[in-house]
Amino acid sequence: MSRRVPLPRPAALRQRRATRLVTNRTVRGNLISVAGLVGRPVTNQAGDVIGRLQDVVARWEGEQYPPITGVVVRVGRRSSFVRADQVSRLGANEIRLRSGRVDLVGYHRRAREVALVADVMDHQLVDVDGLRVVRAADLYLTRAGDRVLLVGVDVGFASLLRRLGPARFRTRPTPEQVIDWATIQPFAGGGGAVPLRRPNQELHRLRPAELADLLEHLGRNERQELIDNLEPEVAADALEEMQPEELEALLREARVDQAAELVSRMEPDEAADALRDLDDDTRTALLAHMEPERARTLETMARYPERTAAGIMTTQLVCCRPDDTVEAVRHRLREAADHAADIDNVCVLDGAGRLLDDVSLFELVVAEPGDPMETLVGPPWPVTVDPAATLDEVTERLVANRRSSLVVADGEGRPLGRILADDVVDALLPDRGRLRFPRILG
Amino acid sequence: MTVPDRRPRPRIVVWLGVLGPGLIAANAGNDAGGIATYASAGAQFVYRTLFLMVLVTVGLVVVQEMSTRLGAYTGEGLMSLIREQFPLRWAAFAIVALVVANVGLVVSEFAGIGAALELVGITRYIAVPVAALVIWAVVVFGSYRYVERVFLLLSLVFVAYPVAAVLGHPDWGRAGAQTAWPHFVGGHAFLFLAVALIGTTITPYMQLYAAAAVADRGIGPEEYPAERVDAIAGAIFANVVSWFIIVATAAAIGGRGPLSSAKQAAEALKPVAGAGAEALFGLGLLGASALAAAVVPLATAYAVAEAVGAERSTSRRFSEAPLFVGLFTALVFVGALIAVVPGNLITLLVNMQVINGVVAPVILVFILLLANRRAVLGDATNGPRFNVVATVSVVAVAVLALIVVVQSVGGWVGVL
Repeated sequence: MSRRVPLPRPAALRQRRATRLVTNRTVRGNLISVAGLVGRPVTNQAGDVIGRLQDVVARWEGEQYPPITGVVVRVGRRSSFVRADQVSRLGANEIRLRSGRVDLVGYHRRAREVALVADVMDHQLVDVDGLRVVRAADLYLTRAGDRVLLVGVDVGFASLLRRLGPARFRTRPTPEQVIDWATIQPFAGGGGAVPLRRPNQELHRLRPAELADLLEHLGRNERQELIDNLEPEVAADALEEMQPEELEALLREARVDQAAELVSRMEPDEAADALRDLDDDTRTALLAHMEPERARTLETMARYPERTAAGIMTTQLVCCRPDDTVEAVRHRLREAADHAADIDNVCVLDGAGRLLDDVSLFELVVAEPGDPMETLVGPPWPVTVDPAATLDEVTERLVANRRSSLVVADGEGRPLGRILADDVVDALLPDRGRLRFPRILG
Repeated sequence: MTVPDRRPRPRIVVWLGVLGPGLIAANAGNDAGGIATYASAGAQFVYRTLFLMVLVTVGLVVVQEMSTRLGAYTGEGLMSLIREQFPLRWAAFAIVALVVANVGLVVSEFAGIGAALELVGITRYIAVPVAALVIWAVVVFGSYRYVERVFLLLSLVFVAYPVAAVLGHPDWGRAGAQTAWPHFVGGHAFLFLAVALIGTTITPYMQLYAAAAVADRGIGPEEYPAERVDAIAGAIFANVVSWFIIVATAAAIGGRGPLSSAKQAAEALKPVAGAGAEALFGLGLLGASALAAAVVPLATAYAVAEAVGAERSTSRRFSEAPLFVGLFTALVFVGALIAVVPGNLITLLVNMQVINGVVAPVILVFILLLANRRAVLGDATNGPRFNVVATVSVVAVAVLALIVVVQSVGGWVGVL
């Protein structure tokens, strides 16, 4: 079910951030283009060329601007790592080392280190501020005290063109569309060789629909990494907002235990939708990894087609016995406040779990706290539907009885779930899918 | 417990049921340019080009398999992989090659629309601009999905070719012999058509589509074995249909010299449709062309935006996805514009396939390199024997393309 509300994308917001770095003249003057460094000669303290720069290594460890830990220099046919404190000058015109001795042990990526040219430049990144997936056309470094920091990502088309041109142009920064590194969620690159320590804090401030949009735009590895970095609750909320086909693919690609956890944290009706879209094997595997009770509920819901009562109901019910006091029921409602949007009435059940009455919240509010629920049982009597009832039947019953919700009950009269009027509205609205290649053929 | 009813999936795959991405991708080769080229081959050289179809099939199988594997193992599109794995200049070269090839394709699709509507007497000077406007508007403002189903259904008309071939009493003995045994015919015309045949069968667009569709459906390494069967079967099936198009046309009008009009090409369907042959051919041509005239620009814009890292979705307004929407618009209208340049439509169609044939090796080399990179595919890189076949196919296509380029350039400067 698609509940996607088109996202407002205030161009002004994006523009403001993009220009923030650029307006700072001093920063602009001090920017070092990583693309410009690649292939430049590296000299020893005597000024002799000993090799060419191949890569720049940075360490992410929670800082807003990751420090450069060293450079990879290509000497002959070998690559070697030179620590940042051994580099006396790092600029487009000259990369000079303090010592002529280069350790010719090949470069191996260490934990929490990322090779900027191999893993970040030209790869996908998430611009948390502008809410979009970008590709880094260039990366900018700047000197801060005795350290060199990664401060910005260039996503401008001009920078791409500059890199295509002769080397002379390549070194000159063209910071037209630079995004502050502090608002970037990077990825570790193919295969996830380097687990990220710190997901960008701003990610958690995104709305679920915004996260869903980003997830849909990322490649498989990046998407998996982003999910790994999110709190399961946050991820589950985002999943509810994804297009069904994208969600199906995501759940199939994720680890079974992770997918199971995410689905079980989704709202029941959305979770049932997601399960219904999966193939039988994946669905069975996911259900097997869930808490048994949750799995049973979801399986029941998923068993019915989407456009039936069971397919659109929520299993979020607040139930009580006739001898419970009004006070006790109110307390239970307070505990279920998280699901307030799905709770309408309170079901009063008999000893066998059959529905006696569906007490409205209004009745509950005006009742005496000490009275037993029994005293509230009476007309108007609850309106129930069969789990297999079609959407049309549900709509008709809802309209005929002028209720805000219906109880879905099995043949014995035991309630299974509730259908709220807004669920019916959602189900009746036509799907307004987006058109994206290769969706159009597939 | 079983699930009583699955929600119908709101996509074409529903009623194309068994058709996987491999089959759809490979059969995209049988578009306007494909029909025109195969029909030309049959008309001009009778059965003599059939042996090429065997070689082309091997090449197509190998290439589609590699593209599908790349999509399944990386979950990324080809252009995205090329941008990430190669120096930027190489990637830029690949993008330019792709755009050039696909402009050629778009031109041929609009030429196909023009040729189809000329069969019912509508001049292409009206038909093509109107078609371009309608296709552009439907994709940018509306939902293309529904219209697309109609076109896809129409393009299935070409399945009538095998029937037509059988009813047309071709010389099966000669067809069989010339399929198995290479019969080179000297001269520029044969070579030109050979490159067109390769160009229309192994189209960069198909490889792009195969990888993107597999990646987008979340088909991963576990599901890959089944997907591989689909990719290979699709490639073979597509070329079997192409083979029948050549045979049917050869039986009907073989040996009368180069194909000059769609009317002539439609004669091959006479054994099936009799007097309705032209209508049937026209409908099929219109369906296949209109479908691809929208899909090819969309796919191209998507791939370029993906490689550049720009916003890509038709639900975005122009100001939000200027590259994507702008490129799509430019491709549609430039393609339509070239298609209304006065001249013979069938010749134009075949020439555009030659451009594709010349550009194809560029993309093929990238695919071959990617399929050999452990950093990309891990243990799923090409095996040694597969690599020999793949390399030979790519080199053969490249050499043929090179000869055509040299001959054409030589022709212009008057050397040859």
